[in-house]
Amino acid sequence: MRLRHILTGASAAALMASAAHAERGADGQVNVLYYQAISIMTPYLSSGTKDIDGAALVLEPFARFDPDGHLVPYIAQEIPTLENGGISEDLKSITWKIKPDILWSDGTPVTAADAIFSWKYCTDPEGGCAQAPYYDDVTDVEAIDDKTVKVTFSVPKPYPYTAFVGAQSPIIQAKQFADCLGANAPSCTEANTMPIGTGPFRVTDFKANDVVTLEANPNYRDPAKPAFATLVLKGGGDAASAARAVLETGEFDYAWNAQVEPEILAQMAAAGKGEIISAFGTLLERLHVNQTDPAPALGEERSTVKHPHPFLTDPDVTKALSLAIDREILVETGYGEAGRPTCNLVPAPEYQNSPNNDWCLKQDLDQANKLLDDAGWAMGADGVRAKDGQRLSILYQTSVNSVRQAAQALIKQWWNEIGVEVELRQIDPAVFFGGDPGSPDTLQKFYADVEMYADNFEGTDAERYLGQWVCGEIPSPETAWQGGNTSRFCDPAYDAARAEMSTTTGDEDRAKMTIRLNDMIVNSAAIIPLIHRGRVSTKSKTLGGVEMNAFDSELWNVADWYRIK
Amino acid sequence: MLAYAVRRLLFAIPTLLVISFIIFLILDLAPSDPTANLPLTIPQDVRQQIRLSLGLGEPMHVRYLKWLYQFAVNEPMHALEQLTGHHFSATPRVRVLSWQTRSPVVDLILQRLPQTLWVVGLSYVVGILIAIPIGIVSAVRQYSWFDQIGTFVSMVGYSVPTFFTGLLMIMLFSVHLGWLPSIYDTNLRVTDVASFWAQVKQMIMPVMVLALFNAAQISRYMRASMLENLTQDYVRTARAKGMREWVVVMVHVLRNSLIPVVTVIALGVPQIFGGAIITEQIFRVNGLGQLLITGIQGADIPLVQTLTFLFAALIVLFNLIADLLYGMLDPRIRYD
Amino acid sequence: MLSAARAARQPLLSVSGLRMHFPIFKGLLRRQVGTVKAVDDVGFDIARGEVLGLVGESGCGKSTTGRAILRLYDITSGRIELEGEDIAPLSGAALRAVRPRMQMIFQDPQASLNPRMTVGSIIAEPLDEHLRPSRAERRARVFELMDAVGLARGFANRYPHEFSGGQRQRIGIARALALNPAFIVCDEPIAALDVSIQAQVVNLLEDLRAAFGLTYLFISHDLSMVRHLADRVAVMYLGKIVEIAPREALYRFPLHPYTEALISAVPEAGGRRRARIVLRGDVPSPLRPPSGCAFRTRCPKVFDRCHVETPPLTDLGRGRRAACHLVGRPPA
Ligand SMILES: Nc1ncnc2c1ncn2[C@@H]1O[C@H](COP(=O)(O)OP(=O)(O)O)[C@@H](O)[C@H]1O
Ligand SMILES: [Mg+2]
Repeated sequence: MRLRHILTGASAAALMASAAHAERGADGQVNVLYYQAISIMTPYLSSGTKDIDGAALVLEPFARFDPDGHLVPYIAQEIPTLENGGISEDLKSITWKIKPDILWSDGTPVTAADAIFSWKYCTDPEGGCAQAPYYDDVTDVEAIDDKTVKVTFSVPKPYPYTAFVGAQSPIIQAKQFADCLGANAPSCTEANTMPIGTGPFRVTDFKANDVVTLEANPNYRDPAKPAFATLVLKGGGDAASAARAVLETGEFDYAWNAQVEPEILAQMAAAGKGEIISAFGTLLERLHVNQTDPAPALGEERSTVKHPHPFLTDPDVTKALSLAIDREILVETGYGEAGRPTCNLVPAPEYQNSPNNDWCLKQDLDQANKLLDDAGWAMGADGVRAKDGQRLSILYQTSVNSVRQAAQALIKQWWNEIGVEVELRQIDPAVFFGGDPGSPDTLQKFYADVEMYADNFEGTDAERYLGQWVCGEIPSPETAWQGGNTSRFCDPAYDAARAEMSTTTGDEDRAKMTIRLNDMIVNSAAIIPLIHRGRVSTKSKTLGGVEMNAFDSELWNVADWYRIK
Repeated sequence: MLAYAVRRLLFAIPTLLVISFIIFLILDLAPSDPTANLPLTIPQDVRQQIRLSLGLGEPMHVRYLKWLYQFAVNEPMHALEQLTGHHFSATPRVRVLSWQTRSPVVDLILQRLPQTLWVVGLSYVVGILIAIPIGIVSAVRQYSWFDQIGTFVSMVGYSVPTFFTGLLMIMLFSVHLGWLPSIYDTNLRVTDVASFWAQVKQMIMPVMVLALFNAAQISRYMRASMLENLTQDYVRTARAKGMREWVVVMVHVLRNSLIPVVTVIALGVPQIFGGAIITEQIFRVNGLGQLLITGIQGADIPLVQTLTFLFAALIVLFNLIADLLYGMLDPRIRYD
Repeated sequence: MLSAARAARQPLLSVSGLRMHFPIFKGLLRRQVGTVKAVDDVGFDIARGEVLGLVGESGCGKSTTGRAILRLYDITSGRIELEGEDIAPLSGAALRAVRPRMQMIFQDPQASLNPRMTVGSIIAEPLDEHLRPSRAERRARVFELMDAVGLARGFANRYPHEFSGGQRQRIGIARALALNPAFIVCDEPIAALDVSIQAQVVNLLEDLRAAFGLTYLFISHDLSMVRHLADRVAVMYLGKIVEIAPREALYRFPLHPYTEALISAVPEAGGRRRARIVLRGDVPSPLRPPSGCAFRTRCPKVFDRCHVETPPLTDLGRGRRAACHLVGRPPA
């Protein structure tokens, strides 16, 4: 009787909630906190996540990614494919159709000219556009008609969803930005801070690096949305206090990026006002295993392909090192909700996450020892294995960062247990990630045996990312130490397979290809994947409709947010 | 005195020029790359293009002179044009632009100034109002329990960092008691009693945290200065004259003791404009301190350069003001 | 109401058993580690119109005595009768009410004047506090006082630092005179001045004494100046009076060995010099005075008894008193 009573009450509440958000602006204000404050409302002049997310409230692309990594049409009517004729047979062009009724927030219609302008804006050499890579290989953007845009590439593009897709390359209004091309881009303060868009909100007040105030876009395509009349996007402070403002004091409805010690975050959540939400993109914390010899004695030639590594080119050694690591403990101590163990280089989206490499998920010291024994590495009297006078001694470097140092200490301990000597090294992040060819401490120079950092790729397509592992991408003095192949992995079979991928079309086949390439790398001696890192944010229990997304702006579906009454 | 002030101001110009150049030099030599914070996925050539679009391709002295011209000529001219509505030249003036926000640095500063003046300035005033009576009583009742407690409290107030007191207050008043907001709402407009009350509530914590810190410092100065004067013969004279103790302390001793304290207070004023980086950060008050820190984090050189230079100018200015005040308050000092 | 006759007989000031002890604190917890007996059982009378000189080495307690009498300290014990009224127990308003009758002229005229007040307001302040005169009255009185001490009226709006030392002392004197006091403590009023001006100020003090019928306690370490000015002289050593006598008697026949030593250093009126007695050693610390006679550590005539017994200040007749075991009461 009582249970039934409660149940009817709950369903009535749910009904009321859905009824309540059937009207635009009915739910009042929603307060969003980004501890890194918004500097500018266009992704083209800033590639800070905060600015991209902020701009996503107002500016929209043809299509966005949903939390599973699938494309969802926004300004476009549908996603162009080979099947529906949106992609040309030679893979050199893609044709987008704009939704017929879509309007800018000032009431004027969106046309093909706006897309053409956006392309011109970001590719102007003097504009300093931060998202220029999204328009790589685009030779032309033309209007088939008022509502149809054709993007032409210089080369066949099996994956053409780069330009005008995702939070980084939205369509801006040609009229508003007309005078802002090239060198004039930075001085268009009004347009850069209060852009006219097609998104659910429009800016009413912009205080740089502090707070952006937005109101529901009166011309938004869905007359019932957004449910909130105003949105306040406040900035400043630090991650912990941002999480507190949602979880403990309830002053805010949503706080971005709760990079807080897992334990503290859980404590805050215990207050009961909000919850921790997470989403996993493609960010991977990994160990790169140097395939070349970093010995200082080699001088100019250290860490170059001229000198292969004395022992780390053996996949069994790398496998043993990988098996010795307890990834669950690394997650528990350093990441909490923001991490999970993985053995893949491409851990997401789910449809291209290889199912073949679960062997590393469980720590197995016996197996690790056995692998090394079998490979002829005999345990020495000092507890360090050696073979032919070569000791298993590793220099392990990473950037200065408390979580990384904790992981370093744990991994050193595990490796010691299997007879590997480890020396740890920490480098200032500005230097380590700085890429300065003059510095010996960059991750590209890799003057160590093993190094740890995290990397990811934008969007969902891994082709470019996997392209970093070809022989030609190895950093060397000849390339001024540029190039993404820090492990110095070089396998002609891989290069061939990678070349094959650039002609593979269709989501399914490309996913298969991604898995194949992923498996080739993770089964080589060149990498030890550690943690699949996610984004963690916090939201109030009274905020509904939130779907955390790691492949697009976190605020990608803010039009669907509502107040739970 | 006027001649002295004018002379000092004239001397300040070369000083400030040198300072501005040194700031520029330091910022230029420091390893700060405006593209350093970009995700690793942004390729090097795009980074290079961004750097070029920010003017970083030019040699250092050209960049300095550009900044100087924009700041010292274009900004005042722009302000004048805004004021008078008259345009002196047809070409639009290039103002100092922030790299991060691409908006004029001076506009950003003007936007931030009111919050800083209100919160940090008020905390300074409150700090002074607390400090002076405490300093007086502590000195008059030297070594009494009041003085001992005062010494302890100011030691704590001075040595405990504001981020700690700030956090403590937030934990107490926002999290546990739920009385005060932990985040400063910069959009709040005071229009009626309710919004005024909301403004007061959100200012209490940042103001008090800083006021405590300021009070700790100033009350020590006040106490020391009072003690120094209390043993002077003229105090004895005043007592011998049969003046009431109140008059002796509050008129004779206080007036003399305030001279150095007023100087210290005047010298501290530039700090107000510097904002209180930490406190503004904790309570998310969008003041100048927060502006500076986000500028530094984002390697926003024009913003950091301009702000730092303005602080330097204020320091020079308030040094002069302190000297002039000293001259005005202390008849023994004359500037000719 | 006192009758005129009684008033004449009665001393203007009568001090007895005056003690001023300063506790000394040390260390973190500020424990009391001792007491400085800056003034220890001092007593004397000063008749109306008389000048009592108070001499002694620096640090012996002269200033403290002067200040204690004027109740600039809360004294440890003793009686201070000013015109028959004991002002020792007074405080607050009652004490302030008697302040106009007694004033002090300080050693350092610079330090004793509030640097942020003009000469006019320094002089007028006590008037405002005690008499509440009208503007015109106040102005008149300030000018009158400035005339009396020989300061040009035009100086009224100037600040003390603009004056020379002698002029500053004149300001200090004018200020002290403002309320028509009967009794003035002059605490080494000329010690800080140039020799050339010292005489001027002393002459001024003498003139004023005559003009206003003032009574002085004249503190000095300059014995010749005291001889010039004082009617009677008291000699202090380590917080106590060791000898007190009429001027001529004291200078001609000093009784106490300490007085003798002091006087031996002063050239005699005719320019003749006595055999100089040089005192050995330093003045003992007032924190730990010697047992018995305080002077015994330096006394050329010291003997056994001095170590154990403190000689009392004995009345030797004809207004002479001394504290020494060697000077007994003359046989009756
Ligand atoms: N406020 C005080 N606290 C402690 N000791 C004092 C204080 N004032 C004076 N004394 C001490 O009392 C003694 C007498 O001082 P003072 O009267 O100034 O000597 P004089 O005027 O004869 O040179 C000195 O030893 C001095 O250190
Ligand atoms: Mg003295």
